[in-house]
Amino acid sequence: MTERETDGDQILHGSLHSLRGEYEEIKEIYRTRRIEMPEAQVKMNVRKASDKTSIIDAEGELTAFAEDVLMDAYNRASDGHVRAIILNFEGLEYMNSSGIGLLVTLLIRINREKQRLLTYGLSDHYRSIFQITRLDDAIAIHDSEEEAVRAANSA
Amino acid sequence: MTEPTPQDERREEEKLKREPRDAAFWAQRVERLEVSDVPEGAANVNVQGRREVGALQGFGKLWQKTYQVRLTGIETTPEEVVRVWKKHFPEFQPPNSRFYPSMAGVAPGEVLFISASVGGMPVYTGVRVIYADDESFTVMTPEGHPESGWNTFSAYQDDDGVTVAQIQSLSRANDPIYELGFLIVGSTEQERIWTHVLKSLAAHFGVNEPVTLEKVCVDPKVQWSQVMNIWQNAGARSMLYTMATPIRWIRGSIGRRNP
Repeated sequence: MTERETDGDQILHGSLHSLRGEYEEIKEIYRTRRIEMPEAQVKMNVRKASDKTSIIDAEGELTAFAEDVLMDAYNRASDGHVRAIILNFEGLEYMNSSGIGLLVTLLIRINREKQRLLTYGLSDHYRSIFQITRLDDAIAIHDSEEEAVRAANSA
Repeated sequence: MTEPTPQDERREEEKLKREPRDAAFWAQRVERLEVSDVPEGAANVNVQGRREVGALQGFGKLWQKTYQVRLTGIETTPEEVVRVWKKHFPEFQPPNSRFYPSMAGVAPGEVLFISASVGGMPVYTGVRVIYADDESFTVMTPEGHPESGWNTFSAYQDDDGVTVAQIQSLSRANDPIYELGFLIVGSTEQERIWTHVLKSLAAHFGVNEPVTLEKVCVDPKVQWSQVMNIWQNAGARSMLYTMATPIRWIRGSIGRRNP
């Protein structure tokens, strides 16, 4: 097995490697081949609700291929003194489990920046998925943009 | 049976329009795991009545681990690989990590029982399939499982037209005991299991290629708020269950003699 280990900021860790001598297939060869993914079928528009709150309008499919688009939207949305990011899912057409993974990664990043993540516009189906995956424990779900902005500004 | 009226057809069309394309791929939400049938050989221990836990609920550092094997030299599609994977899922597991699917197999909402052995000690637990389409399926862990999070098994075609089989886990240790265990030996053990699975899957297609692993620490913080997960620890409970086997056997014998 070839192996590469990075943290969220792409810093290499190697502390566990010494424990793996007995496993012949684990070798200290870092993987150099990056496999290109197909284009994302998603669009993200970023707009300001206030000085401290940005809204990302997600439209299309939230899958593994949306990673770059989502992270780019987050970078644009968190310019300045933004303390809350609101994801508008009214235009969400498709989401798989990799899309859920992306939201977890985004949430961890947002928490690290001491910001908050809120959502609105989720259909009953996607609300149910947030409940299945227990994302709703950590991401506030609101019925409308007004409600989400009010909640973001009130904290 | 009566013929559908134009209104019925219109209603059906509107319903289909409202239904998201991914609706059939996701499991229904359940408050707690409910088990109706236990497959032969499996133990319904640490599964029934447990809540599912995701990548946000566990205790330890959050890791994303991506294992891949390229199925070079053969003509196959991601759909075919995932179809075979679903059908033969238990056969690709190593002997110390047995999976027992229900009759319905790997399908949204189905529970897969697990009988594993860690350092000679049995661990009975399970996972639930929360998502399954033609090119991937995802399982989510319940309380007490060593990990809190998801594993996604998928296949896709790379730029060279080669089908790549992939396992991606996004999870953290469920409690402090598991976190310590993963640090000492568990992480290596886990990586060995998923490497074995990909090697077996590739071998099924007649391929012998190396498995690559990319590890990303998504969240280096441990979640002390989840420290009480320790009470659900499936390893400890499986040990108690195993130790109580003679008592259950004696009770069963008495029950059979005095019906």
